[in-house]
Amino acid sequence: MIKKETASARTRRIIADTVVHVCLAILAIIWLFPIFWVVLTSFRGEKGSYVSSFFPKTYTLDNYKKLFTDTSILNFPQMFMNTLIIAVFCAVISSFFVLSVSYCMSRLRFKMRRPFMNLAMILGLFPGFMSMVAVYYILKAVGLSEGGLIRVALVMVYTGGTGVGFQIAKGFFDTIPKALDEAAFLDGATKFQVFTKVTIPLSKPIIVYTVLTSFMAPWIDFVFAKVICRANAKYFTVSIGLWNMLEKEYIDNWYTCFAAGAVCVSIPVAILFLIMQNCYVEGMAGAVKG
Amino acid sequence: MKKKKVMALLLATAMAATCLTACGGNNNDANTTDDVKTTDDTNVDDDANATDDTNATDDTNEEAASEEEEAITATIKVWSPSEDQSAENGNWLGAMCDAFNEAHPNWDLTFEYGTCGEDKAKELVGQDPTAAADVYMYANDQLTALLAANAVAKLGGETESYVKETNSQAIVDTVTVDGAIYGIPYTSNTWFMYYDKSAFTEDEVKSLDAMIAKDKISFPLNNSWYIASFYAANGCTLFGDGTDNEAGIDFSGDKAVAVTNYLVNMVNNANFVNDKEGSGMAGLRDGSIKAMFSGSWDYAAAKEALGDNCGVAVLPSITIDGTECQMKSFAGSKALGVNPNAEYPQVAVALAKFLASPEAQQKHYELRTVVPCHTEVLAQEDVQNDVLVATQTATVETTSILQPFVSNMDNYWSPAENFGNSLLNKEVTADNAADMTEKLNTSMNTSVVD
Repeated sequence: MIKKETASARTRRIIADTVVHVCLAILAIIWLFPIFWVVLTSFRGEKGSYVSSFFPKTYTLDNYKKLFTDTSILNFPQMFMNTLIIAVFCAVISSFFVLSVSYCMSRLRFKMRRPFMNLAMILGLFPGFMSMVAVYYILKAVGLSEGGLIRVALVMVYTGGTGVGFQIAKGFFDTIPKALDEAAFLDGATKFQVFTKVTIPLSKPIIVYTVLTSFMAPWIDFVFAKVICRANAKYFTVSIGLWNMLEKEYIDNWYTCFAAGAVCVSIPVAILFLIMQNCYVEGMAGAVKG
Repeated sequence: MKKKKVMALLLATAMAATCLTACGGNNNDANTTDDVKTTDDTNVDDDANATDDTNATDDTNEEAASEEEEAITATIKVWSPSEDQSAENGNWLGAMCDAFNEAHPNWDLTFEYGTCGEDKAKELVGQDPTAAADVYMYANDQLTALLAANAVAKLGGETESYVKETNSQAIVDTVTVDGAIYGIPYTSNTWFMYYDKSAFTEDEVKSLDAMIAKDKISFPLNNSWYIASFYAANGCTLFGDGTDNEAGIDFSGDKAVAVTNYLVNMVNNANFVNDKEGSGMAGLRDGSIKAMFSGSWDYAAAKEALGDNCGVAVLPSITIDGTECQMKSFAGSKALGVNPNAEYPQVAVALAKFLASPEAQQKHYELRTVVPCHTEVLAQEDVQNDVLVATQTATVETTSILQPFVSNMDNYWSPAENFGNSLLNKEVTADNAADMTEKLNTSMNTSVVD
């Protein structure tokens, strides 16, 4: 009797599990489908933008080869380097901004704190590209819209406003017990020391998150890069390059390279994540203990 | 952390210093050039610079230059599509600019090159004309927008007559607004037909009906640049001769309905395939399609797909109510524009002229198969024997209408595209053709903004 019941319970569980897993699998397929398609296209041997079959008829690595060697018209390696440089600076500078602001909002008490937080919230509701024309003219006025300074201009644009996006990091800092700070103060630490020696080591996950998001910004942004780079092909970022590949005059030749480029763009972000993954886990453990 | 702060400070000072010096440099330049700058912003007249008779040989050019030109040291910004600057394609722009510099020994010019496709001039030059190139290339359908942004200079005097004398009337019209010339054309821009010679004879490609009865053809019906060709065939007009903003678009009455009926039948024909997102070229490659409609930019791809069987022909005619009607494509040009904000207008105009000179067009044609439009270059034997050039020139001159670039033309594109989609979805049928055509005509003549 007992045995039978266990068996039927198991069947029921198996059925439930199967249903759940099938649902999840379907969702996963829907979600991964475009990515899978881009990867497939990047290895496609046939030319052109239009195909009649989902799976390529021939596979090749030439698209990647062309992407990195055929630099006379669309210089992808240069765009890649431009973006990488900008992204590295962005990751460092905007993480510093975000974490500093979050720490202040979470730990310090001052008169403008609440009004500032409200203001930041409201400012955050406006789409950033609303200001693109103004940003361009300001950069032009200070002489950052030509030549190598375009990179500086882009770094400034991507980092300048990031401090306003402090909410998530602040929320995390709020969960770190204040007692830890107070203990440090008793030992004679300054506020800055508390920030660097107590708060930061305890908040590795949020740092990883902040660094990753700010590192990704220049890879994703198109609007500002387009407005600021204008005709200066030497300083194009990958998003402009990829967009150019889909233009009428290039699409037939560059379509598969576009897919290859899209795959390549994900590599630096993936590498950064793999490096920081350890911190992610460690940080979580630390936070729980703390 | 302190170190970082110091670094940031240093960086900021360095940046401030560089931009200060940059501003200073500009001011100096501006001061020295005030006397040569014309005061009229939009009218750059190069009468003063009589040296640039492009028909003259290089020698006389140089002589004249050294006699009359005052010494100028300047940085000239030139924007062109990146193909014109790639070493692989022979760096046409760089070679031409260097030649220009040599032809003018009194001018010490440094060139600063930028990348801007002809079809992007509206956005990139229009975004900030004061910081844009002195000389750039644009497709003529952008002219109205460039004028509105005060980004293109009127060319007067000698340059004006030069443009008029060295181009066919059809080409001159493409850069004329209210009787004034705004650019120096260097190539024509239109579309025609590519076909598989093994599938159609030269006689058959004269009639679309004969072709579609025999084999598969592909046409981008929901692309507004193409669909007007059918209506233009049967006497429908866009802005009169293409320049009269008040005349509006006339797709009304029986003549337009007859075309709609023709298109309904064509869509229902099993041999018709819509050309969307490159499907036409893909069809030529795998042989499932025997003819498609596109422009010179697809020539290399078509040649590769069809090899010796690659045929190029002017547009065929269609039979509407028993009469043969010639399809007519939109024709335009690509031209060199001069920025009215250029610091040295006389240099900019001379350079624009040089880049559209017969030698430059010849070189452009050799390096990148850019179809020339200068009558002298077109008259050359090797150019005349080129089937692509011959077809494109014939298309512009005989089977095309001027692509209107008056301001109300903006209202044409979306309704026309939607109508193409409706035809393909079979929402437009023989029964409601009259009704739908009337609606199309109304929406094309209605401003979205009003």
